Amino acid sequence: MPRACFNALLAGAVLALAVPAYAELTVSDPWLRAVPPVSPTMAGYATLNNTGEAAVTITGVSTSVAGHTMLHNVKTDDDGNRRMVHLHHLEIPAGESVVLAPGNRHLMLMKLTQVPAPGDTVEICFHLNGGQDACAVFPVKRASQSDG
Amino acid sequence: MRKLPYILPLLLTLLVVGCGKQESDLPVNTRLGGEFTLTDHNGEPFSQSQLKGKVSILFFGYTHCPDICPAVLARVAQVYRKLEEAGEADQVQPVFITFDPERDTATHLKEYLPWFKADIIGLTGSLAEIREVAKQYGVVFIKDQEEQDYLFTHSDYIYLLDDQGRVRKLYPADFTIDEVVTDAKSLL
Repeated sequence: MPRACFNALLAGAVLALAVPAYAELTVSDPWLRAVPPVSPTMAGYATLNNTGEAAVTITGVSTSVAGHTMLHNVKTDDDGNRRMVHLHHLEIPAGESVVLAPGNRHLMLMKLTQVPAPGDTVEICFHLNGGQDACAVFPVKRASQSDG
Repeated sequence: MRKLPYILPLLLTLLVVGCGKQESDLPVNTRLGGEFTLTDHNGEPFSQSQLKGKVSILFFGYTHCPDICPAVLARVAQVYRKLEEAGEADQVQPVFITFDPERDTATHLKEYLPWFKADIIGLTGSLAEIREVAKQYGVVFIKDQEEQDYLFTHSDYIYLLDDQGRVRKLYPADFTIDEVVTDAKSLL
């Protein structure tokens, strides 16, 4: 390979590593609530930050430990009953954040193929409009008094 | 000194009353609760009268619930651990009643609940039996048929029962742990 080509490839590789591929959506404070090993489901929480200059829409979520991963919201009706609502899309305006928290919007992992234990980590990817993915590592934690 | 024979019984009476059980300020809820019989996580019949003699923390839910129910279970477990640290957990009984008997069999509850390390009794039964108990406690649950892995719309109150099985207080799902610990202690 000519040296110039090699240098160009090297420079390209360095540039690809230096520039985050998912610059528009960052995930902070991610965690999964630990559940019993026989549990078929578990929930995840995080803050999703749109650091870009345009709105971003999450069109799907996936992880290798669950057959089906969804964004859900918890709605409270007039009688005080709580209902899960599947969010097919979640738009985050430019410069804004959306909090996924217990009893509120959250990630729902269903059909768990393996149940991660407290201390384990799980990568979860958010699929964005435009074809990009924003992935983050979610540590599995037992509940604490402050988690709501 | 001649008055001592008269004063002594009075002092003793005050001492006995003072050292006796303090009555809780929590009012008795006469509209909710009552006798029921379901099946426990060992597959044995379990009646509400078996809870008498202990303070109970009773709540409804289902194990396929990903968000609210595991959070409530974890918080009840924290209440239990605080009572354990105070040496009073043996007088308090957490009870989980499923409204999803189709999936929450006694066997599944027996596998699921011990993980929380809170000595939780899991109760299941026929749908008709569970509907009746839910009605007694004012609990609403509606199966969402739209999803393949169905969920429920449901109320999520937690009930504190005294040692006679009477409802003394209700809490929302995001209850304060110290509040329940304090209330439970007031009923011991």
